[in-house]
Amino acid sequence: MNTDFDDKLDRAARQLARDISPARDLWPGIADAIATPARPSRMPIFAQAAAVVLLVGASSGLTWYWMKGQVQPVTQVSPALVFEQASFGANYSLGVDFQVARDGLAAELEVSLARLSPEARGDIEANLQIVQTAIYEINAALEQEPDNVLLQEKLLRAYREELMLLRRIGGLTRNVMMRNDI
Amino acid sequence: MEALLTMGASDYSRGMQAIQPTSSAEEARLVQRARRQDAGAFESLYRLHVGKVYGLCLRMTGNVSEAEDCTQEAFIKAWSQLVRFRGDSQFSTWLHRIAVNAVLGRMRKSKREQERLQVVDDVNATPLSTGDSGTLRDLAEAVDRLPEGARHVFVLNAVYGYTHEEAADMLGIAAGTSKAQLHRARRLLAQQLKEQGFDE
Repeated sequence: MNTDFDDKLDRAARQLARDISPARDLWPGIADAIATPARPSRMPIFAQAAAVVLLVGASSGLTWYWMKGQVQPVTQVSPALVFEQASFGANYSLGVDFQVARDGLAAELEVSLARLSPEARGDIEANLQIVQTAIYEINAALEQEPDNVLLQEKLLRAYREELMLLRRIGGLTRNVMMRNDI
Repeated sequence: MEALLTMGASDYSRGMQAIQPTSSAEEARLVQRARRQDAGAFESLYRLHVGKVYGLCLRMTGNVSEAEDCTQEAFIKAWSQLVRFRGDSQFSTWLHRIAVNAVLGRMRKSKREQERLQVVDDVNATPLSTGDSGTLRDLAEAVDRLPEGARHVFVLNAVYGYTHEEAADMLGIAAGTSKAQLHRARRLLAQQLKEQGFDE
């Protein structure tokens, strides 16, 4: 319910100027705006298609370039490890030569480790554990993405690390004399 | 009258009151021409309505610069949306709705509203040039100091005569909220104006 004050307020409000001229002419700004043809809000279909093709092309090119950079070290593998490249493909099986070399070194591992002190053996076993865990995890990832070239390459590299570690262990222990060698 | 309605910007004196149409039929013809991208007809419509649109924007924003921006934005939007105007409502009502949207959009985009209130409170800025005098000027200044929601409803309902339903529709609020905001506006105005002897 309105009070006397409300009524007086309403009467006064109705007397407030409703028609107020701006201090400056606003038309020139409006005229400029409406004279400029509005930009089409949507790109034409052919432009959208071209953009998609360009995006996919650029993306593919970058990926190819990047993967090319990643693969590069494989071609520079030392002659002693060339066999690692053999038959490593989408099914991520290792080459026969690699398997023979690894199996031989693995068989010698226990004998080699036995020649070392407990501390040195602990360090080497820890390093081997790291490499083998990496191999396990990369293999698990490859089960999900069998054709992922990056994963294949990482697996190859991890196997190579393992092989080099095994060889280093053999080299380290070759000159260590055991009590029963005397 | 046709000559008056279609006169160009160069013929229009700065500060001149907006020209009032004598016939809704004349306005309807201008709208039809403007719908066909006749910029001259649209300029005539601008001349007819700029006063009320600018006044509404000025009362709602309480800021000359923002009111000018909102007025321009409203007319530019009206030009682009003219094809959608079917004449179901008055052209002025349709234009006011666009202007209210421009004001609300601008206030949503920036926090200048809050800054503006702060400035008004701090430095007691120069009163807006609204053409009001005496007691009415006190009222206009008090309205300008109202919080945003209460001010918008008071301007649309008490000053421009829109019903609560129409004001609520323009502001995107419920009619009940509009009534509550009007009550709040009156209470706040009473606090301010009674101290100035408005009630005597």
